[in-house]
Amino acid sequence: MNATAMAALRLLGGVILAGLVWEGVVVLFGIRPHLLPRLSEILAAIAFTPGAYWAGLQRTAAETLIGFAAGTAVGIVNGLVFFRAPLLRDMLLPVFVVSQTIPVIAFGALVVMWFGNTLMAKAVIAFYLTFFPVTVNTLLGLNSVDPRQAALLRSFGATPTQILFRLQLPMALPQIFVALRLGASLSLVGAIVGEWFGDNTGIGVLLLQAMYNESVVALWAAILCAALLGTGFYALVAWAERRIVFWGAEQ
Amino acid sequence: MSGTSAARGVFGAVLILALWEVTARGFALPAYTLPAVTQILGAVWEHRAALQAAALVTGFEAITGYAIGALAGIGMATLLVLARPLRAGVLPLLLAINSVPVVAWSPLVLLWFGVGVSSKIVMVALAVGFTIFLSALAGFDRVDRRSVDLMRSFGAGRIGIFWRLRLPAALPLIAAGLRVATVRSLIVAIVTEMLGAYGGLGWIIYQSVTLIDFVQVWAAILVASTLSLAFFGAVGALERRFIFWR
Repeated sequence: MNATAMAALRLLGGVILAGLVWEGVVVLFGIRPHLLPRLSEILAAIAFTPGAYWAGLQRTAAETLIGFAAGTAVGIVNGLVFFRAPLLRDMLLPVFVVSQTIPVIAFGALVVMWFGNTLMAKAVIAFYLTFFPVTVNTLLGLNSVDPRQAALLRSFGATPTQILFRLQLPMALPQIFVALRLGASLSLVGAIVGEWFGDNTGIGVLLLQAMYNESVVALWAAILCAALLGTGFYALVAWAERRIVFWGAEQ
Repeated sequence: MSGTSAARGVFGAVLILALWEVTARGFALPAYTLPAVTQILGAVWEHRAALQAAALVTGFEAITGYAIGALAGIGMATLLVLARPLRAGVLPLLLAINSVPVVAWSPLVLLWFGVGVSSKIVMVALAVGFTIFLSALAGFDRVDRRSVDLMRSFGAGRIGIFWRLRLPAALPLIAAGLRVATVRSLIVAIVTEMLGAYGGLGWIIYQSVTLIDFVQVWAAILVASTLSLAFFGAVGALERRFIFWR
């Protein structure tokens, strides 16, 4: 607890220091506000209409989290199915791998057409950006389990379900979390881009409005919100990883 | 063994395409739900001139930005490894920039560099640069502390250790970063084009969405996917050629 408090304090100190450096550098070097406004100006802009930024943050966070959670669940189940059914895996995995190399975000336009300008549409975009890496990494992790360990458990009379939950799934967790960390950033990108196809609230909308108004201060305010959400979400996943994969001390 | 799984893969792909075609045609799905595969291919053929011009624009942006980003990423990682004192100051700044989801920079970069090609190149270079910088840095840091000490005890300098030890150790990770970055370069180019451009696949996609021309959206996505696959395949082939010990 004390160590966490210390780490939090150090983090806070780092953020305050970074803010001071930002402010100082802009004033000292006379950087034009067109490039980089003073931090205090940006914070003042947020403080002027906190409601819009708070609503945007909440909305985008909801889209990201729903999509990420669904993508994780479906991805893990899908990885399990592929693991158990090699025929299905051989037939579908190549298509999956190829589909990872295509610019899936372009499908965002289609998803928004199908679901309308709803929270759901953005969650679906975040979903499929998370879903692919989680599926592939779940399968990778499950395949990396030593078959002799599974054979040993089986010789002690363990059922396939027991082997799955006691051995294979835990062994696959480090790989799954690699995909989850990737998915955490991808799902946020998906949500933001999804909002560009039309919406009223959200960080993506704030970015777009600021761009159309050519307001650099508002743009930076939205960028700060995006950074806050991205970092917070990533930290949450990393924290969960340390908690759940407590044995993965190699990192 | 691998022959059968490859055959199954081809079979699966064909099956999906056939299922798609039959579903779209059989249920007479409207184009906004799901156009048939043949319909999309027809649209690609019909608009081939426009799509080819757009693919050239997007491809140019992606490859130019990719080259700049790759050089900058590897260069920056090398610099930070060779000049330790620099690292403490520069790395937190870079990580802070990277903590922003990359697409959130797009509107700002558009304001700074205009609607033309240069803003897309900057965005691609940014995304590719960070991807490769982070994997190169992880690769350079991956070497065993004891190997470094051993080389130093034989009188190797910082540059000697980098050249003989760190770079070979980092190459697989850099190669992986280079591969992932191919896909990212096209995604970022397309996404930035959607916000504002004079041409390119992302611009066509955005235009078609506003015109509610769904088949055209699919056609542009198909071309973008082919471009992305070709780029990915080319970088993968180069990697197999040059990192022969993997």
